Amino acid sequence: MKLLEHEAKKVLKEAGIAIPAGFLINVPEELPAHLPALSDRIMLKAQVDVGGRGKAGGILMADPATAVATARELFSRKIKGLPVRQVLAEEHLIIRHEYYLSITVDRSSRQPLVLFADAGGVDIETTAREHPEAIRKDVVNPLLRDIPPFMLRDLLGTAPKEIGPAINRLYHAFCDRDAILAEINPLVTTPQGVYAADAKFIVDDNALGRQGITVNRDLSEREREAEKHGFSYVELGGNIGVIGNGAGLTMATLDLIEFYGGRAANFLDVGGGAESERVMYAVRLVAGVPSVKVIVVNLLGGITKCDEVAKGIISAGISQKVIVRLAGTNEAEGRLLLVEKGYEMLDTMDLVVKKAVEVAAS
Amino acid sequence: MIYGDKKTGVLVQGATGKQGEFHIGLMNAYARQVGGRGVVAGVTPGKGGQQVHGIPVYNTVKEAMREHDTGAAVIFVPAGAAADSIMEEANAGIPTIVCITEHIPVHDTMKAVAYARAQGSSVIGPNCPGLLSPGEVKMGIMPAQLFSSGSVGVISRSGTLTYEVVDELTRAGIGQSTVVGIGGDPVIGQTFVDVLERFRRDPQTKAVVLIGEVGGNLEEEGAQATDLPIVAYIAGKSAPPDKRMGHAGAIVEGGEGDARSKIARLRKLDVPVASRPSEIPEMVRGLFRSC
Repeated sequence: MKLLEHEAKKVLKEAGIAIPAGFLINVPEELPAHLPALSDRIMLKAQVDVGGRGKAGGILMADPATAVATARELFSRKIKGLPVRQVLAEEHLIIRHEYYLSITVDRSSRQPLVLFADAGGVDIETTAREHPEAIRKDVVNPLLRDIPPFMLRDLLGTAPKEIGPAINRLYHAFCDRDAILAEINPLVTTPQGVYAADAKFIVDDNALGRQGITVNRDLSEREREAEKHGFSYVELGGNIGVIGNGAGLTMATLDLIEFYGGRAANFLDVGGGAESERVMYAVRLVAGVPSVKVIVVNLLGGITKCDEVAKGIISAGISQKVIVRLAGTNEAEGRLLLVEKGYEMLDTMDLVVKKAVEVAAS
Repeated sequence: MIYGDKKTGVLVQGATGKQGEFHIGLMNAYARQVGGRGVVAGVTPGKGGQQVHGIPVYNTVKEAMREHDTGAAVIFVPAGAAADSIMEEANAGIPTIVCITEHIPVHDTMKAVAYARAQGSSVIGPNCPGLLSPGEVKMGIMPAQLFSSGSVGVISRSGTLTYEVVDELTRAGIGQSTVVGIGGDPVIGQTFVDVLERFRRDPQTKAVVLIGEVGGNLEEEGAQATDLPIVAYIAGKSAPPDKRMGHAGAIVEGGEGDARSKIARLRKLDVPVASRPSEIPEMVRGLFRSC
């Protein structure tokens, strides 16, 4: 789950990385009380989860006299379609130089990957394209508590040594807070020292519980409802509902819909060993999206019992057409139950998908 | 057979749980069918002295190892304890560790995989269905009735999609040497590179079906590192960016790891890529015709 900037900065502060003086405000009228603690120039930053926030008008500069009016303006804006509910008011730093620092999970080496670049403030993809020589990277053995000094020297190159401790502290925050991405862009040097001027932090969804996060904000309400039942669910915008077991098979079913010229409305992976009640919830959840005209059920399994699946589909009692492909344990019993109730059963995933695309287009 | 055969004794960690018990039954049914040793010991802390399907259960892996000759372990313990199980088995010197468990925090996996590597153990998974060498051994949860013995290796990040493809291959008369589910998480022990290297050294395997999905670039790394003939399939062509498609690792991030660029890079390496799973058997036949 992505943290907002003010949450990410709190994590950094707790890890010992300096952040600009700042206050989170919910309405413009809260601002005057904080002005004495801020500088003569103030940064007002919309707390919305979008990339390219500055360019989209989500960051405004003000002075104490104009701050409230500017904050009012920012609260009235939509940033890439998102309303501004909270604003971070921060002191404006005197910046000597901007750097880029991030730590991610590297799949190839199976280790944390640290990236440091002399060019900060721009996104790392742009730097990689235009100044690849400015980027230094190293992977850290996850069994180490600290990044070794030689590696810090290697990452820093000619950059000031005073940045080294910030890199190590970000690594500690990355490990202790179960991050899959921790990014400071820009990391800045100022006459007062090294500061994190902006911060991005994504927490591993598999570790939200032990990080004390109870609600995953990145999920829609329907996605959260699905999660409670142990389903993986994603909304996609077309008119064919998709239910499968296993992520790979469900994804392959979506791709096949595209191959035959249709558009999937959603993706629901019921997981292994689905009993009738779970299947019923799954069918109702997928059918609950108003655009869904037809539902494809593509289940294959050793553990999944086809008669249980059939009972679940029947008891869901939905109005849309359901086209089914079932293979596995108790296949014949499942088939019998569904055919008796007039459901369409087909033998292969190509056939069910083709049929569903036809129905959706009619 | 690249991770074990009939003679491999298997240890199951989490033997007394619902999943562990159920799959010990199925693994040993397969072992009886092929005349193999199958699961010889179980481990669940605090349950030492019990039996599951006639298999003795021990409190620790070391205790089990003192009584039994085991060459592999399969883990069914919950996400919070699974990384610890991987390390316990690596510490006891088990060479192949299959971790079925899903939802392990990625930092725990990174540590456990690094530790296992240092101990010289290979980890398959986590979040995987395990592996099956038809006629030899099953370590994990794959439905054995779909498999047939032959010369095609299969490596996949998925479970049920693997069964779909194996079913298609078997129906088309194409048998498999070993089928390995390497797992759907972003960090996994054995990647395509490692398994392809095992297949290269395996005299039984003549060609490989590689089943990948969106996220990362491990498929391309694997294809680049081997000279074995490969047919690939990549799931998730219609996956929108920044959405996790069921597997923790199936996500297009920062414009990287999308299916189209993956497929383009594989084709550049002269790897034929199927656009549908049902095309795979015919493309595998094509490989055999051309070599």
